[in-house]
Amino acid sequence: MQSGDRVSHFQAGVFMDKRKIVIIGSSGAGLPILKTIFENMPRLQGPIVLIQHMPIYVNQTVCDNLAAKTEMTVKIAELDERLQSGVLYVAPSEIHLKLVQNHQIRLAGREKVNFVCPSIDVAMMSVVKEPSILPMGILLSGIGDDGIKGIGHIKRIGGITIALEKNPDIITNMADEAFAAGYVDWVLNPDEIRNKLMAHLGWEIKNR
Amino acid sequence: MKDTVMIVDDDPMAQVTVKRILESAGLKVTTVDSGEACIREVEKGFNGLILMDIMMPGMDGWETIQSLVDRGIMKGSIICMLTGKESPDDRMKMLKEYILDYIRKPFDQKKFVRLVKEYLSYL
Repeated sequence: MQSGDRVSHFQAGVFMDKRKIVIIGSSGAGLPILKTIFENMPRLQGPIVLIQHMPIYVNQTVCDNLAAKTEMTVKIAELDERLQSGVLYVAPSEIHLKLVQNHQIRLAGREKVNFVCPSIDVAMMSVVKEPSILPMGILLSGIGDDGIKGIGHIKRIGGITIALEKNPDIITNMADEAFAAGYVDWVLNPDEIRNKLMAHLGWEIKNR
Repeated sequence: MKDTVMIVDDDPMAQVTVKRILESAGLKVTTVDSGEACIREVEKGFNGLILMDIMMPGMDGWETIQSLVDRGIMKGSIICMLTGKESPDDRMKMLKEYILDYIRKPFDQKKFVRLVKEYLSYL
């Protein structure tokens, strides 16, 4: 890259012709892990949807804290929004998030699924198989079943699946059980998840 | 106040130890020795991070959290479990929207203080 070059985009790896979407499911102890993943994260060339189990009154501060770490736009997902590249959509609490035709956000349903709302399963299982789409599902820390069926679904439709590796300091039952069920392609630590996200989606390279 | 932590633990030694660590880090700390006392403090207006033990006489940690949720008085506080129990039992699955972490004792003090400050930053 020479001085004066225009902004270009770097996208490593195969599947460059496919549109990519990422859904991250996170529960207890997930917030510090997300902070590590998104620390100094450049603006990625794809949308990311985050389902974090949390009380509704911290939704905005979670967004604000993540926004302070990354060049991505971080916002609470809104009804009927179309997914845009470079945006991290944080699912609001107390309502399920689904994707419609893999590109539009639907917020509907308040009945708990796997004891939670929003449910990671509901979000991930709303992704439909489509030849031009390459989804990625990531399960971070937490206990319980939510997210296991969802990541299994992502794998079945040809997506890439990642689970957080075991760590003695945090509960990773959710990720461990997804791995035991054979649904996980990669078991990674937070830094490795970060690198995998960047490689999968690509990012902007700015002029000096 | 956003810098306030409530330790809910019936073990006086655990209370003193954790309180000392957090006060050394500049945080304001309240201690109570039961779930019932925790609920009373929240009803009186406590806002902050609640570090909840599990095994307590009377209401245990899970019952205390469920009671706070049922009373609709959780707003303004964040809960993390702080316990010597290696693994949470199934009751955590039903409450995990309200519990942001499960911190096991013994813990690394520096990591613990960093975590507590991070959780306080969400309030």
